[in-house]
Amino acid sequence: MNTDLQEKRIPIIKIRDFLIVSIQVDMHDRLAIKLQSQILEEIAKTGAKGVLIDISVLEMVDSFIGRMLSGMATMASIMDAAVVIVGMQPAVAITLVELGLDMPGVDTALNMEKGMEMLEKRMRDQQVEDF
Amino acid sequence: MMNDTKKDLKNRINHIEDVLASVAAGDMEARINSEIEDDLSGIEAAIDLLIEDLTDELKKREVMQREVEDKLAKIQEQQKTILQQQQDLLELSSPVSKVWDNVLILPVIGTLDSQRTQVMMENLLEKIVETGCTVAILDITGVPTVDTQVANHLLKTVTSARLLGAECIISGISPAIAQTIVHLGIDLSSIRTKATLQDAMIFAMKQNKRSEDSRPHSRFADADEKNE
Repeated sequence: MNTDLQEKRIPIIKIRDFLIVSIQVDMHDRLAIKLQSQILEEIAKTGAKGVLIDISVLEMVDSFIGRMLSGMATMASIMDAAVVIVGMQPAVAITLVELGLDMPGVDTALNMEKGMEMLEKRMRDQQVEDF
Repeated sequence: MMNDTKKDLKNRINHIEDVLASVAAGDMEARINSEIEDDLSGIEAAIDLLIEDLTDELKKREVMQREVEDKLAKIQEQQKTILQQQQDLLELSSPVSKVWDNVLILPVIGTLDSQRTQVMMENLLEKIVETGCTVAILDITGVPTVDTQVANHLLKTVTSARLLGAECIISGISPAIAQTIVHLGIDLSSIRTKATLQDAMIFAMKQNKRSEDSRPHSRFADADEKNE
């Protein structure tokens, strides 16, 4: 029952070609793993081309969550969806860098708007390339 | 007769004991001051002499202790001043200013140490979040030397800024610093570096323009145009 409640707390919203995930609660390891598979399933189901993960509320990120986030970006990119992590707090950034998790290959943006722009630009570039 | 001498001797020994006891208790004025000349008087004189020496030593030690205490107080005062000045320097040394739309500049002047870079990094990241600028220029023209630790801190700053979603450009790397960085085997290839602050500014503004050009016309803007 408890896990069910936790699962429901992080909604994944589809807007056009993007998925928006706004993390509003403290991340536990189990919740993170659940979220990871949830997002990947949602990508497969909706055929989304981009995922925006808003972590502006997260005040603490440990190495596990950090690895989970960068792992998710890699997994999603294999599934042809770009992941942008949005709104990271300075303290979190410093922690991640001190932990040696500089997340190569993960795109980041200051806020949701900029992240959205980034994804749209990428999609347009890709369309140009495809033609 | 024999008994008398014994008694006398006992009295004198008792007196010596008394004097030694009072000296031990801290009374440095106590002396045996025996007037009788015999076998025991040598010992008595020696004890008196020892007490005299001890008194002198104690006096000397007291003077020295006072001197040391004075010096310690002075050093503590200086330490306080140094700490205060360090604090001032930390506050003064890392101004982050917004110079253009979307562009922040952090001019670094003077020698960098871990603590300063830490404060600098925090200030920069806070400012990035506060202003929403996506380009930050770290100008190290005023930095004379860089060691491994400082280079590492610079790398960390740039990486953290990237994690927030801002790009960090380092400008003004002097020949000496370039040499040190290569000699130390630090890989700066993942970081955008520009020769001067001017170059960095031009680059940042071009970057701005590019992202503005690529931005699609928002539907609201279109609607506004139609309304007009």
